[in-house]
Amino acid sequence: MRDLRPWFHLILQRRGRLFVGALLLLATLISGIALLALSGWFLTETALVGLLFAAGIQAYINLYVPGGGIRFFAVSRTVARYLERLYNHNTVLRLLTDIRVALFDRMAQSGHRDRGRHKGAHWLSRLTSDVDALDTLYLRLVAPAALAAVVTLLVVALVWLLFTWQIALILLAMLATAFLIASWALYCRTQTLAGKLNERQEHLRSEVIEHLEGFSELTAAGRIGKHAALLKRQSLTLDKDQAVIETRTGWHLAFTQLLINVSAVFVLWAGFSLFQNGSVSGPVLVMLPIVLLGLNEVYAMLPDAFGKLGATVAAARRLNEEITPSGVQPANTAAGTTLAASDLSIGHPGSAPVMTHFSLSVQAGDRLGIVGVSGSGKSSLADTFAGVIPALSGTIERPDCVYLTQRTVVFEDTVKANLLLGNPKATDADLWRVLELVELAERFKREDAALDTWLGSGGNRLSGGEARRLVLARVLLSSAPLVILDEPFTGVDADTRARIAPLIDRWLEGRTVISLGHGPEALLPSDHILHLS
Amino acid sequence: MESSDPARVRRWLSELTKSSQRWIRATVLAGVWVGLTTIAQMVLLAWLAYQGVIEQQPVTGLTPAYLLLIAVLLLRAIGQGLQTRFAARCSEEVRRDVRRQLHRKWQSLGPVVLADASAASLTREWLDHVEALHGYFARFLPQMMLSVIVPLLILAVVFWLDWLAGIFLVLSAPLIPLFMALVGMGAEKVNQQHFETVSRLSGQFLDKVRGLTTLQLFGQTAQASSTLHHRSDQFRLITLKTLKIAFLSSAVLEFFASVAIAVIAIYIGFGLLGYISFGPSSELTLFSGLLILLLAPEFFQPLRTLSQHYHDRAAALGASAEIIARLDQPVTPTKKTTLATATDASVIALQHVSLCYDVGPEVIRSVTLTVKQGETIVLTGPSGGGKSSLLHMLAGFLQPDSGSISVFGQPAGEQPFGWLGQKGFWIQGTWADNLRMTCPDASDIAIEKALHQVGLADLVEHREHGIYSVIGEDGQGLSGGQARRLSLARIFLADYDLVLLDEPTAGLDATSEIHVLDALHKLSEAGKTLILSTHHQALFTLADRLLIVNDGEVRDA
Repeated sequence: MRDLRPWFHLILQRRGRLFVGALLLLATLISGIALLALSGWFLTETALVGLLFAAGIQAYINLYVPGGGIRFFAVSRTVARYLERLYNHNTVLRLLTDIRVALFDRMAQSGHRDRGRHKGAHWLSRLTSDVDALDTLYLRLVAPAALAAVVTLLVVALVWLLFTWQIALILLAMLATAFLIASWALYCRTQTLAGKLNERQEHLRSEVIEHLEGFSELTAAGRIGKHAALLKRQSLTLDKDQAVIETRTGWHLAFTQLLINVSAVFVLWAGFSLFQNGSVSGPVLVMLPIVLLGLNEVYAMLPDAFGKLGATVAAARRLNEEITPSGVQPANTAAGTTLAASDLSIGHPGSAPVMTHFSLSVQAGDRLGIVGVSGSGKSSLADTFAGVIPALSGTIERPDCVYLTQRTVVFEDTVKANLLLGNPKATDADLWRVLELVELAERFKREDAALDTWLGSGGNRLSGGEARRLVLARVLLSSAPLVILDEPFTGVDADTRARIAPLIDRWLEGRTVISLGHGPEALLPSDHILHLS
Repeated sequence: MESSDPARVRRWLSELTKSSQRWIRATVLAGVWVGLTTIAQMVLLAWLAYQGVIEQQPVTGLTPAYLLLIAVLLLRAIGQGLQTRFAARCSEEVRRDVRRQLHRKWQSLGPVVLADASAASLTREWLDHVEALHGYFARFLPQMMLSVIVPLLILAVVFWLDWLAGIFLVLSAPLIPLFMALVGMGAEKVNQQHFETVSRLSGQFLDKVRGLTTLQLFGQTAQASSTLHHRSDQFRLITLKTLKIAFLSSAVLEFFASVAIAVIAIYIGFGLLGYISFGPSSELTLFSGLLILLLAPEFFQPLRTLSQHYHDRAAALGASAEIIARLDQPVTPTKKTTLATATDASVIALQHVSLCYDVGPEVIRSVTLTVKQGETIVLTGPSGGGKSSLLHMLAGFLQPDSGSISVFGQPAGEQPFGWLGQKGFWIQGTWADNLRMTCPDASDIAIEKALHQVGLADLVEHREHGIYSVIGEDGQGLSGGQARRLSLARIFLADYDLVLLDEPTAGLDATSEIHVLDALHKLSEAGKTLILSTHHQALFTLADRLLIVNDGEVRDA
């Protein structure tokens, strides 16, 4: 449960909204209960007065107050419900934003910049489902639990007021038990299973993907059916465990409602002796059990949320790991005017170094090319120069730098927003100039929205070569004195590359450039070329 | 992939229902049982109130009724528990069936066609979409039946008590289908809108997270965060506009339920006072009046529950449409069982084999070829000339449009054979697990030997657990070359007669290349029939026959 604390804290930032939302929920619930309870009171009152009338005895009955009350609650229940749903959906949507923005901010601050690269392809999909799990925290868990507690106390107070404190205490004990069965007890019984379910699902997902990757080999070996049977069996086990959680949730709900119903019977039974000695009126005696039956509605919301709480806590735990500061600081990077690296060990923390005893010195204004096949540690070297990963040992001295990563990252945004990342102060004219340079200006001038052209998810409206040139342009906009380009021309055809490489070289005049690639043709024109083996 | 039409989706879902009929029926039965015990509970409550307040019975005289009431409550709770227990099982068989159907489809599409779809989206269909069917079978379907049966039961009781009060409820009864439609439309809209917002929000969030390193390098994370915030707010405002309307439909249901209760309460109250001089109201007592009042909310409850389960239906329909689209994907070319006329068990024979994809010219044109057992055939030629297609047909992954193929007297793909594609494949697990994927009975010694043959032995030797150490423990995983050698090791282990290799050395590092060449030599010397496609000169020396495949035709070099 401790894992949920930061997220509760975040949700509580919107205290005011949560409070109003909870009040509206309470109004809805109370209107519903009051409608039935008042009706029950009214029926009993009319039945008793009706008997007097039938016996020919004069009696007075006020029809206007209860009649008006019944009509009022009928309307207020509908109105409160409508307002509550609208208001709380608004709150939930705000919380959706809050959670994502906060998570993003904290991930951005937590330091480890090469996040995700070593966490596998499913990292993002898991992240998504974990964030989704937290979205329901308020409306499904916090609000109903708080509401159930408040309404329970109100009802107990009412019973104390109208009956006796002894009856109220016994009732409190019964309802508290019902509450615990619907919440804590169920959480304890499903925690382990629910918490692991998601992990097992993700594990199965990787296995299915492996199965598909090996489909040819497995088919050839005549083993495809056998391997699939293994996956089917695992799915079935997951289905069964899920059914176990659902079944437990169901029984806890049934037991909770049993206790509430029994408490209604208890109140009726205990009230009788009070009625017979005249300290309680008939209408009140009938009204209170109906009030108690009304509690079923709010208690029914609890088991579902608490049955899934184990999974929610597990999701929160994983997210908390994402936002824990890495503790690894690129402390051995110092500022300088030239790039000087001495005795570097390069690699990812926790795995064997890909390169050791690497020393290099690049003079200001130099053009250095580094050539190496994939797997030679070229990208790790570039990452280390740029400070994306810290050197395992050794020191680096370098000026401010701008770095084109091997992976092409285009954001789901406009051309302009994507380019401005490189230099937020650039004018439209600057943008057009750099687009001209990478031969993309024509491409976007043709679009109606020009610089405001929407690039779609992951830049999917661009071809691979276009996307590469766009991110290259973004890097070129920056005025940092050191430019590191890892495979600058991936996906760019040879003719275009031959035309734009010299132009880029001229654009970067006076700055230090390190370009890395799988072969000399993939680099910018260079003064020296270093071969990695 | 195009989505399927709604009628087809519903038909498919109702067919699936068959296998789980008994669980669904049991769920509904338990639900009806809960409805009946609820009625009994209300009858007893109303009767006890009547006996106590009006008849002034002493508490002790009512003890049996109290005990009966407790028993009824227990029975109700048991019914409730059983209902969810049965419901949890409702989709077990459905999910198993659909997963089986999907996998059968994958197999009939074959590895080549399957590779056109991304592994991630196929996996999503197999896991998430199948999972999405659960709510529909477990919750929505049974509740739909219950929302007809239970209100009818209650209506019967109310009619028996007071037909006028019954008429108030009946007046809303014809409205029930209308309610259902209203609730459905509203819930569907809400659901759709909510889903859209969440996925757009998630999209924006993931987009930024994916590019986080880039944002950090440019020092632009704060800017990105405020963009995220701003976009989310815009989505929220758009969504709320739709929700304002969509929530009205459930408000209508709520309003009718509230008004019905209010009307009934006031009618009964006036009836009890004797103010109403017509109809059955003179018969009303506190018992019947209170009972009608207690039953009125139960009349509407099943519908309210149904509206809560509506999103299950929407999710299942969406998922089904995509599953059906996959199941309906045409198998091209349609599988023909063409067995060669010459079924010589010692040769691989192709006779007038032609192949073309959906539209377009033939990629293989009337190729006739005989390969003797133990021969090594190297196919070369320009990309797109048909080398891979030829290999795929020999593997049985693709079926020829005309002509016949016989592999050692049997149709292609009938007998196990070795296949090495351009991507080697490995699973998370130990080296032994990986090699036993295709040879479950292999001994430890055989596995070590196979790893040795492909030059992977030194990766294993110095490990504490040897072949039982986990691949990629050090966080490095396998390089492309190592993965391909691992696949080759499987081929060594299994001792196939026929081995097909598609560009076995393309894109390999120097070490891996040497090991692969060496391994192929060994296989060839061991008398295996090798057919491989390559551009690599070094592999030509292996060839007993070097064939050039160009423009769909095959000739000797």
